[in-house]
Amino acid sequence: MSTAEDLPVLGAPVDRVDGPLKVTGQAPYPSDVDLPGQAHAALVQSTIAAGRITDLDTTEAEKAPGVLAVLTHHTVPRLPRGPMTSLGVSPPAPLQDDRIRHHGQHVALVVAESREQATAAARLVRVEYAPADPVLDFDDPRAVSVDDPWGLDSHRGDVDAGLASADVTVDAVYTTPDNTNNPLGLFSTLAAWEGERLTVYDATQWPAMVRETLAEVFGVPEVSVRVLSPFLGGGFGAGLRAWPHVILAVQAARDVGRPVKLVLTRPQMFTSVGHRPKGVQRVRLGATADATLVAIEHHSTSLLAVEDDDYEPFAAGSAVAYACPHVVTADRQVRANVPAPVSMRAPAHAQGNFALESAMDELACALDVDPLELRLRNHADVHPALGLPWSSNALRECYAVGAERFGWSRRPARPRSRRDGHWLVGQGMAGVSYPWYQAPSLARVTVTADGGATVASSGMDIGTGTYTVLTQLCAHLLGLPLEQVRSDLGDSDLPEAPQAGGSGLTSALGSAVADACERLLGALLELVRDDPESPLHGSDPEDVVAAGGGLRRRGDPGRGETYAAILARHGRPQLGADGASTPAQPTELGMALAGAFGAHFAEVRVDEDLGLVRVSRVTTVIDGGRILNEKTARSQVIGGVIGGIGMAVFEDTITDPTTGRIANATFGDYLVPVHADVPDLDVTFVGEPDRASALGVKGVGEVGLVGVAAAIANAVHHATGVRVRSLPITLDALL
Amino acid sequence: MTSTPDVPPAPPQSDPGAAEITTAFTVNGTPRTVGADTRVTLLDALRDRLGLTGTKKGCDQGACGACTVHVDGRRVLACLMLAAQCDGREVTTIEGLSREGRPHPMQDAFVRHDGFQCGYCTPGQIMSAVALLREGRAGTDEDIREFMSGNLCRCAAYPNVVAAIKDVAREGGDHAHL
Repeated sequence: MSTAEDLPVLGAPVDRVDGPLKVTGQAPYPSDVDLPGQAHAALVQSTIAAGRITDLDTTEAEKAPGVLAVLTHHTVPRLPRGPMTSLGVSPPAPLQDDRIRHHGQHVALVVAESREQATAAARLVRVEYAPADPVLDFDDPRAVSVDDPWGLDSHRGDVDAGLASADVTVDAVYTTPDNTNNPLGLFSTLAAWEGERLTVYDATQWPAMVRETLAEVFGVPEVSVRVLSPFLGGGFGAGLRAWPHVILAVQAARDVGRPVKLVLTRPQMFTSVGHRPKGVQRVRLGATADATLVAIEHHSTSLLAVEDDDYEPFAAGSAVAYACPHVVTADRQVRANVPAPVSMRAPAHAQGNFALESAMDELACALDVDPLELRLRNHADVHPALGLPWSSNALRECYAVGAERFGWSRRPARPRSRRDGHWLVGQGMAGVSYPWYQAPSLARVTVTADGGATVASSGMDIGTGTYTVLTQLCAHLLGLPLEQVRSDLGDSDLPEAPQAGGSGLTSALGSAVADACERLLGALLELVRDDPESPLHGSDPEDVVAAGGGLRRRGDPGRGETYAAILARHGRPQLGADGASTPAQPTELGMALAGAFGAHFAEVRVDEDLGLVRVSRVTTVIDGGRILNEKTARSQVIGGVIGGIGMAVFEDTITDPTTGRIANATFGDYLVPVHADVPDLDVTFVGEPDRASALGVKGVGEVGLVGVAAAIANAVHHATGVRVRSLPITLDALL
Repeated sequence: MTSTPDVPPAPPQSDPGAAEITTAFTVNGTPRTVGADTRVTLLDALRDRLGLTGTKKGCDQGACGACTVHVDGRRVLACLMLAAQCDGREVTTIEGLSREGRPHPMQDAFVRHDGFQCGYCTPGQIMSAVALLREGRAGTDEDIREFMSGNLCRCAAYPNVVAAIKDVAREGGDHAHL
């Protein structure tokens, strides 16, 4: 048996199925949920970066109107740390002792009848500290460092010999600052205990992980914990952890015996839910005179919190970006008294690509060869480390189509060649090879008595369009109109899916949904094949297709019946099937698993007198394998590109070098791109369905961001002749 | 060393916040009365007291636009206005934009052009966009971008938001609707 062969809904740029809820204000984000009898909580955070609490006086706060409880390290029981995840150890449990590890660490939580009362009372908590001298940067001799934290350091060939054999070399140091994820939605946790049963509405990208964490921390079975995150006001990685404030809200709800709601403030979003950590990278490249790469050496050092993990192998991507015989990549993380970093859209690769692709541009200048030509000459036709063919790779097409659409061939070779009045105009480009990632996933698909179907999964839609593409996929595979399929997501009681992160959810969860549909169709076919009353009685499975809201004879659509009819005749209110997907293994397939590829071409205008940088247009071409919905996929890439513009020219979380306090923790001071900063963006998809993915899908949530910073920096160099190796590119670097 | 968080000084013992004040105003065409703490913002009154959670809190500092509503027909950041200041005024939120069960053309256009991703800033973007048309500031792409710049979108659906606004402007704006 096979499913409908024409693809009326798969790939079509259909409108988001959750769109009507979102544009009418009806979509329930975690902070929108209220429970009867709920109390409100407000955090008190440390005002030193390192040291100890010597006294914590809650007397006044406890006497304030409406206050129900004040949680401190004196009141909170000893809690175990959450479990290990694929992103490393869980954050430390909150309020366990008197130690301060970073500025803005939670030191107390006030619970009161109203939000205003909790906030006012939080100001009455008096904290005395014995401050210590904090470690705040890489070069502090007291800092503890971790070499190769993720086991991804790599070497092949002999990089020193490679560099020695090179006709031209580049040796440069690049720095990237802390950036803060800053999703628009303030993170919120609403926790309610009923006996040993715990329900939590949480701003998470990973409901299953939060459930496991809370079960472990509070010593209850996982089945008695339910975590809901059906809608989330953005995350960009900030929702990939069970943060200390989540644990605190749950503890508070247990203490006061009522539901407790905690909504972070915007300044708290800078210290409590992660950030992209600052880093320093040194890249050495060597090439022969004919522009053939002979050596890549890429070292990175980035900042890490005192007791957390963070997946940031900046340099790892350089091992597989180009065909090159001699390569070394090495990453180091340095522990400091800073808030915990976390993945922020394209973790590690956003930063690592900026260094590598800037260095490639420098190499092109040194070789006097076109930057695009340099990349084409060193294109990795096979996976450079494994020597295997890629499961899909349309990077050359990305370059070709992008160059054509952008008009790259008309770009003058020399910097400072074009001006428009007082604006210097420059063009730059960068390539992207995003890594493959996938985790195991489950899903359930159920057909119901009304003839429609439901997809169910704990996986969630962070805004990528998961609701929509799963609905499309299920509708396609079951031969149903879109309106008859519903997706229920973001509920840990539903079959477990991985995080909305790593550009891996669509492939993992989509494959599980496809598997569930196949099993469901098999079960339905069993029902009808042996049923004399069915028009499909005795049919060969190969001759049956899913179409027209039911099962049909291939080539004879009049012969068949709807799911509703099948269920009704067998007296079943519904019939469901569980599906699963597991990540492919490259050795079994004889292929290197490919992530998305891409190319960005950027044009900037730099005010010669003022140093102002304006990004005037960007052309982006992405190979994302099979695109399930061109409208939502395009939005993903647009969002990524603009995130890249932010990284390139605006975003910079500034930490005071003596106190460790973040100095710009508001949207007024931490600049993100706004409407007026965003030029015309040209986004195109190329490529073929990926051969290693059941659906042919490669994720596109992150690839759009990677490479934008380098393309812009390279364009700034082309405009001005000034090479800026430190982000963000602000006017002071160009004056 | 004694230290308190980086916030304004604690209120005095005779905490004015403890005082309640009753505010009568019109919300989405319906007269409403809110009895609340004098510190309660319009945003919190809408969300917590009136159950109108379509208006979002993104910063509570007047910097992100997620809480944009209309007060007496003008766009206002609901986090920067106290509920008590709204006495006798007319407030419109995202929930009040539809007419006779039909979405406002701007809401339809946002769906059609995919003018959002996570959707959190969307009510504010739409309220701003509707006001923008009324203000006559949707004539050019540059104007739309400039006068929508108070509404941040971290998913960065900006080009699609601009396309949605242009689409509605081309169709004659919202004059037929509001």
